[in-house]
Amino acid sequence: MSDQGYIRYRILRIIVIAVGAIMLIRLFSMQIISDEYDAKATKNIVRIETEYPMRGEVLDRRGEYLVKSRVCYDVVVVHRELPKTGFDTVRLASILDITPEYLEKQLKKARQSPRAAILVVGYLSQENKLLLDEGGFKGFHTRFRTAREYPRKIGGNLLGYVSEVTDRQVDKWEYYEKGDYIGTNGVESAYETELRGEKGVSYRIYDSHGAVQGSYNDGADDILPVKGAQLTSTIDARLQEFAEELMVGKIGAVVAIEPSTGEILVMVSSPSYNPDLMVGRQRNNNYASMIHDMRQPQFNRAVKAKYPPGSTFKLVQGLIGLQEGVLHASDRYPCNMGFSYGSRKMACHAHSSPLDLRDAVAHSCNAYFCYVFRDMITNAKYGSVKEGVRVWNKYVDSFGFGRQLGTDFYGEGKGYVPTPEFYDKGYNERWNWGTVISCAIGQGEMGCTPLQMANLAAIVANRGYYYIPHIIKHIEGRDSIDRKFYERQYTLVDSIHFVPIVEGMWRGVNVAGTSGKARLEGWDVCGKTGTAENPNGKDHSTFLSFAPKNNPKIAISVYVEHGGFGASIALPIASLIEELYLTDTITRPQMVEEVLNYQPNYSRNYDAKQRKYDEERKKKAENKK
Amino acid sequence: MYSEYNISRRGSSTSLFGNVDRVALGIYIAIVLIGVMCITSASFDSETTNIFSFSHNYMKQLIWVGISSVMAAIVLLLDRRLFHMFAYPAYIFGILLLLCTLAFGTKVNGAKAWFELGSIRIQPVEFVKIATALMMARIMSDYAFNIKRLTDLIKIAVVIMVPFGIIVLQNDTGSGLVLGAFLFVMYREGLSKYIYFPILFTIVLFIAALILQPVIIFLALLVFFTLYSILKTGEFIGHIRFFFGIILGWLLLSTLTPLSGYVSLMIVCGIAIITLTALALKTHTMMLLWPIAMFFYAMVFVPTADTLFQHLEPHQKNRILTFVGLVDDPRNVGYNVNQSKIAIGSGGLFGKGFMEGTQIKYDYVPEKHTDFIFCIVGEEWGFFGSAIVVILYVSLIMRLMKMGERIKEPFGRIYCYSVASILLVHVIVNIGMTIGLMPVMGIPLPLMSYGGSSLLAFTILIMIAIRLDASTSERNLI
Repeated sequence: MSDQGYIRYRILRIIVIAVGAIMLIRLFSMQIISDEYDAKATKNIVRIETEYPMRGEVLDRRGEYLVKSRVCYDVVVVHRELPKTGFDTVRLASILDITPEYLEKQLKKARQSPRAAILVVGYLSQENKLLLDEGGFKGFHTRFRTAREYPRKIGGNLLGYVSEVTDRQVDKWEYYEKGDYIGTNGVESAYETELRGEKGVSYRIYDSHGAVQGSYNDGADDILPVKGAQLTSTIDARLQEFAEELMVGKIGAVVAIEPSTGEILVMVSSPSYNPDLMVGRQRNNNYASMIHDMRQPQFNRAVKAKYPPGSTFKLVQGLIGLQEGVLHASDRYPCNMGFSYGSRKMACHAHSSPLDLRDAVAHSCNAYFCYVFRDMITNAKYGSVKEGVRVWNKYVDSFGFGRQLGTDFYGEGKGYVPTPEFYDKGYNERWNWGTVISCAIGQGEMGCTPLQMANLAAIVANRGYYYIPHIIKHIEGRDSIDRKFYERQYTLVDSIHFVPIVEGMWRGVNVAGTSGKARLEGWDVCGKTGTAENPNGKDHSTFLSFAPKNNPKIAISVYVEHGGFGASIALPIASLIEELYLTDTITRPQMVEEVLNYQPNYSRNYDAKQRKYDEERKKKAENKK
Repeated sequence: MYSEYNISRRGSSTSLFGNVDRVALGIYIAIVLIGVMCITSASFDSETTNIFSFSHNYMKQLIWVGISSVMAAIVLLLDRRLFHMFAYPAYIFGILLLLCTLAFGTKVNGAKAWFELGSIRIQPVEFVKIATALMMARIMSDYAFNIKRLTDLIKIAVVIMVPFGIIVLQNDTGSGLVLGAFLFVMYREGLSKYIYFPILFTIVLFIAALILQPVIIFLALLVFFTLYSILKTGEFIGHIRFFFGIILGWLLLSTLTPLSGYVSLMIVCGIAIITLTALALKTHTMMLLWPIAMFFYAMVFVPTADTLFQHLEPHQKNRILTFVGLVDDPRNVGYNVNQSKIAIGSGGLFGKGFMEGTQIKYDYVPEKHTDFIFCIVGEEWGFFGSAIVVILYVSLIMRLMKMGERIKEPFGRIYCYSVASILLVHVIVNIGMTIGLMPVMGIPLPLMSYGGSSLLAFTILIMIAIRLDASTSERNLI
C-alpha cells in the first residue's frame, strides 16, 4: 500500500508539473512568440479618426467676405450601438431640429446596415452639438464639417457650392472618402485643392463602451488638419451685387474686367440664385427646383453661353481689315439702309452716309463692315475665299474667340467661330463670300461667351493685348497666382490700328452714335452697342464698353437675351456699373429705375418651354401613379 | 493521542504557529497579495476619484483579507481532532445550505448559487468544498474502509454525488465539476486505475461525437482496437482478415441495400461483436472481452451523447461548441475568451505595468476582477508575472501533496490531497479558460479572484491542511 501510494504520489506530482509546464508553454507562445495579440490589443482600443479641416474662405477684392465658413456637424448613427432599452426620441429630435417621424425614418434606414455610420441629419449647429453631447445619446456621433455662409447672398454660379462626393469621385481621387464634401462649380470647384486644406488623422483610445479615453501614444502619431487657404477674389462684391440686382428678371450675363490686370470685377449670370440655397437641410429641394427651371439658374451663362456677338464684333472686323491693309481709317463706304449682295440685302438702320471707319463704329453701320469683311476674304493675296476665311480665323482666334481663354474658372466655354471646313461641310464645298457675310456683323454661326466679349472690351481698352481674365488674385500662403495671368496676350493686330476704333467707340458715346446714353461726364466712356438677331424671338441686347478712354479702369460686356436694341437695356446696365465702379456713386436713379422696370418678354421662348416641360412632368407623375 | 499530549505540553499557541509549514503559508500570502494588487488595478478607471472609498472592490477585498486572516489564525489554533469531529456536521450543514440556496437563493449569471445575507453575498458551494473534503477524509481514513470494496466505493460516490447533484440543479455545473477533483485523491488512495480508463474514454468519445461523423469514430475505434489486440496477442494475419472482413461487409451492405453507411456499419459491427464474444467465451481468451466491451459501450454511447448534449443548457452547449471549435463566435461566447487571450497575449515579457494594462483599464476584458483576473497578471506583468503565478500555484499544490505524504495518518493525508486536487482543478479550469485551453466555466481563481466567500473558503480549506500538518510537525519535533 505504502509503496503503491508513493508511486502514485510521484505520478500525481508529474501530472501537476505537466499541467504547470503546459500553461507556461502556452503563456510563452502567446506572450513572447506571437505578436498577433499585440496588434489585436491595439486594434481593440485605438480608432483612427479623420480630422476635418476648416474650408478656406473667399474674400472680394476689397477684403469683404464673399464666402464664410461656419462650423457645423453631421450627425451619424451606428445602429448597433443604440441602447436596447430605447431612448428619448422626442428630445433627440428637438435637439437635432427635426421631427420625431423623420428621426424614426432615418433610424429605420440605419437598421439596414447596423455597423455603419449612417447620416441622420447634417448642418447641426455648434450649440446643438453641445446639447447632443450633453444628452449622452449612445450610438449617435458627430462629424466636424464646414458649412458655407454668404454674407451678400451673391454670386451663386460664380462661387459654386460644396456637395457630397460622388462614388465616382471617391474612386478617382485617393483624398476623398465616402461622405466627404467637395467643391462643385465655380470657385469652389476651380480652387478645390486650395480651399479644402488637408485632412488630419487622430488616433484615439476608446473603452469597450465606446467612450473616448484619450489619444493614443500621446498624440505622437496624430496629424493635424491643415486649414484651407483663404482666397482673395478679383470680384468687387458691391459691384457684383449691384449688377445682379440690375439683371433681375433678365436672362443674360454681365462680365467686367480690369483691363490692366485681367481681373474679373463682376461676373453675373442671370437668372442667378442665392448661394445659401445650396447649403443646409433644404438643399436638395432647392436644387431640384432649380433643375426643373427652364431658365436654368445653374447654367453659368457668363462663361458657357454661346451668344451671337452682334455689332460688337464689328470692332474685330475693322481691326483685322486695318492690319491686313484692306481698310484704311479714312475709307468711306456708302450705306443705303443696308448692304446688297446678289439678290440679298443685309439691312442697316438710318444714319448719314457714306461714313468713315470712326463714324461707322460710332453709328454701327452694317454695310460698312460687310464691305470690309468682303474685301478682306476675297482679297487676291490669299488665293481663295477659303484661305481668306482661314486668315480671318487666325485673327479672330488671337482675340480669344472660338477657344477657351484659359481662365482659372470652372467650365469655361469655347464659343464658336465658323471655319472653312465648317462651310465646306455645311454647303457641300459650294460657298462664297456671300455665304459667310453675316459673320461681318457678328451674326450667323458666330457664338461668343460673355467673358470673351468682355475680354474683347479689355483688348480694345489695352490697344491690342489682354491678360487672361481670372477670378482669384491671391491665395493665402502663396506669393503669386499662376504666371500665365501676369503675361500679356497679344492679338495679331498692331496697337496703332486700335486708335480709329477707340476713337469711333468714344464718338459713339460722346459725340453722336448709338451709345449716347452711356456718357459719363469727365470719364471718356467708350462703347459699342450690339443688337443680335436670333430665331427665338426679339433681338438680344448687348453692349461692350470700357472707360476711361486713356488708362482704362474697367472693361465691360453686358448681354441680355431678347432685350431688344443694344442701347435699350444692355447699355444702361453697363453704364450704371461703370459709374458705380468709377465714381462710387449713382447719379442717375432714373436710369436704375428704368433698368429695374425693363422686363424682357420671354413668353414665346423660355416660358413656353417651361409650360411644356411642366405639363410633361405632370403627365409622367400621373402615369407613375 | 499524541497531539493532545503535545498541545498540553507545549501549551502556548506561538509555538504552534512556529510549526506551521512556512513555505505553504508564504505561498498563500503571496498569492493573496498578488490578488489584491490585481483587484486594485481592476477597480481603477478614469473616473475614480476617492481611492479609499469603501465602494471600491479592492477596499472590500481588503476587508475580506482581514476577515480571512482572523479566520486563518482561528483555524490554526483549533485542536486537530475538531476537524475530524466536525466532518459529519459540517457536511450535513453544507448540504442543507445548498438545499436552502436552491430554494431561496439569488440568481447571478444564470446560476442560483448565491445566498444573500444583508449586503453580503455568499456562495455556499465554496464552503461545501471544505465540508466534502473533510467528509471524504473522515470516511476514507476509517480503519475499516477499503477502497477496493464496492460498498465503500458506493459510500464515497454518494458523498460526492449528493452535493454534485444539488449544484447541477443550481445550474452551476462549473463548480460541480470541481468535485471531480476527488478522483485524484482516490487515485492516491489506491483506486484501481481501470476505473480511470473508461472515464477518459467517455470524455474523448463525447468530444469526438461532437466533432466527428459517427462512421469515422467507429472506423477509428476499429483500427485502434485491432492494433491494440495485435500488440497484446502478437497475432497478425487473423486480425487483419477480421478487420477487412468487417470493412468488406460494411461496404457490401451499404452499397447493395438502401441502408445508410452508419446503420450498415452498426449492423456489421454488431454481428462482429456477437461473434467475437462467442469466440472469446469458447476459447477462454478473456483478454478479448475488454476491447469488445469498450467498443460496445462506444456503440451505445455515441448515439446517446448527441441526445445528452441536446439536454444541456444553451449557454453550456455554446461554450462546449465554441471550445471544440465548431462554433466561431467572437461576439458572444467566444468574446470573453478572445478578449482574455488578447489581454494576456499582449502582455509581452514584463507586461505593461501596474494599472497600465489597456485592455483592463478600458474594460475590454469582461469579469476582469473575478473569473478573468488572470488577465490582469498576464497583461500588466507579462510572461514574467504569469509564470510566477503559475509556479506559485504549482508549488502550493505540490507542497500540499508533500504535506499529505508527510502526515502519517490517513485523515490528514487524504485531506491535504483533497485540498491540492481542488486547487489543481480550479487552476486548470480557470487559467486554462483565460488562455483558451479550456471551455468557459465560471469558477474563480483560488485566493485571487474578487469575492469574499471564495477567499474565505479557500483560506479555511488551506489553513486546515496547514493545521493538520503542523500537528504532525510537532510530533516529528519530539
